[in-house]
Amino acid sequence: MARTLKDLRPVYVVGVGWHRYQNPSDTPYVTLGVTAIREALADARITWPSAESAYVATALLGMASGRPMLRHLGATGIPLSHVENASASGSTAFRQACIEVASGLTDVSLAVGVDKRNPVRRDSTGMDNLAEDAIAQFTHFSLLTNEYAHRHKVSFEDIARVAVKNHRNGAKNRNAQRQQERSLDEVLGGKKVAGSLTALQCTPIGEGAAAAIVASEDGIKRLGIDPGRAIRVIGSTARSERVYAAGLGFDAVLTKETTEIALQEAQVSPQDLDIIELHDAFTVEELHYIENIGLCPEGQGVHLLKDGALDIGGRCAVNPSGGLIAMGHPIGPTGIGQIGEITLQLRGEAGARQHPKARTGLAHMVGVGAVCYVHLLQRP
Amino acid sequence: METLLKPTLYTSEGALLGGRCTCGHVFFPMQGHGCEVCGRHGADLQPMALTGRGKLLSSTVVHLHADKARATPFTIGKIALTDGPVVRTLLVDPVQQIAPGTEMVTALVPVGTGDDGSAILDLRFKPEH
Ligand SMILES: [Zn+2]
Repeated sequence: MARTLKDLRPVYVVGVGWHRYQNPSDTPYVTLGVTAIREALADARITWPSAESAYVATALLGMASGRPMLRHLGATGIPLSHVENASASGSTAFRQACIEVASGLTDVSLAVGVDKRNPVRRDSTGMDNLAEDAIAQFTHFSLLTNEYAHRHKVSFEDIARVAVKNHRNGAKNRNAQRQQERSLDEVLGGKKVAGSLTALQCTPIGEGAAAAIVASEDGIKRLGIDPGRAIRVIGSTARSERVYAAGLGFDAVLTKETTEIALQEAQVSPQDLDIIELHDAFTVEELHYIENIGLCPEGQGVHLLKDGALDIGGRCAVNPSGGLIAMGHPIGPTGIGQIGEITLQLRGEAGARQHPKARTGLAHMVGVGAVCYVHLLQRP
Repeated sequence: METLLKPTLYTSEGALLGGRCTCGHVFFPMQGHGCEVCGRHGADLQPMALTGRGKLLSSTVVHLHADKARATPFTIGKIALTDGPVVRTLLVDPVQQIAPGTEMVTALVPVGTGDDGSAILDLRFKPEH
């Protein structure tokens, strides 16, 4: 009988750090990556030689980018792996680090995500297609926006309110790519990309880095890490797409089945969630995902949004970091940055973005493929 | 004389060149790698011409596109084919608003001229009525 993460050794997030997500620049990825790692080490109050393994998440840097970066921290000879899993690269690296510590193979492991906005390259499957070259990601999500609006009789203006909330949160986050509040008129008035989708309802793909250090109780004791600031990882679940009935959105169905397993294994109900960081690359996604995570019935997400239930200080703060729309989405770092935000929130260290009395958080990421990752974190 | 832009995907009558697995799964386009439902491959996957009819699930007018060779605006439709698969591709009319649920059918439209002067046709969808 297979076991779940909760059945293994307890694993805790003990240090988190970032290099700000930003528009493409001349900054080498090495600078981005080591900045985030040094911040995470300082946050944990440990030094680099304490890290026993490293997982480097990157989708766009090409082969073997990790060692040319990590060597500048001091080449300690630890095992190093690269993780590519599209948007979920960072979430996947984090899961691998957690599994390694939980298994007992190491006491302290690092997950770091780093990326630059390089062209995406995907090899041919050998199969032709009708017009995939004409269907950008925003077109895929514009189709879903139109389906959602039609099925649930929801206005495009109300869907766009997701962006207003997330820009408001991002404005308070020094690591966010977009740090400016936006009115509904500004969001709707921007450049249209497809259907009702405007630029401010889409993630700005940029560059940056995020790091998270995880440790066992043995590691925490041995290194003198403050256990009061350690956040336990109580669940880690990953799934990939199956064949679904025509008309079912795979992103939403995959989110539902992954989250159900994660919540059940960790014995947490959707109503217990204080913080959710989710993959809002496009506004409609946030509504799809909160409904499929189980915050409310399908088609009701807009009511929660308009009632302020998803705000910091509301029933459950959704994307308090600013989410992919405002915090940004540099691909490799994104899933690890979510873990960082939840860690700050559960420690009570999120400053102007602090959601009161936050105890349990969920990180959700989907990636092209499609894959889905869900992590559950809890303040002990 | 007419030439098809992608003759491996459709016929000059507008049928889509899909396949069927012995497990019953119908897919598009035809491929021999293996069945997404059961994993069977080889002779268990047989070509099947799909009717080219279906219901519109959603459509959207695209205003912005990175490849300048594809002029905007154009409209992408997501169609649940009567035979089972869901396909996404261009609609004939670049900006027409079409209600979800509308019955759709394939149409071949000229997209260029070949070296021999013949029209090159590509497949689109349009409302059936
Ligand atoms: Zn089959």
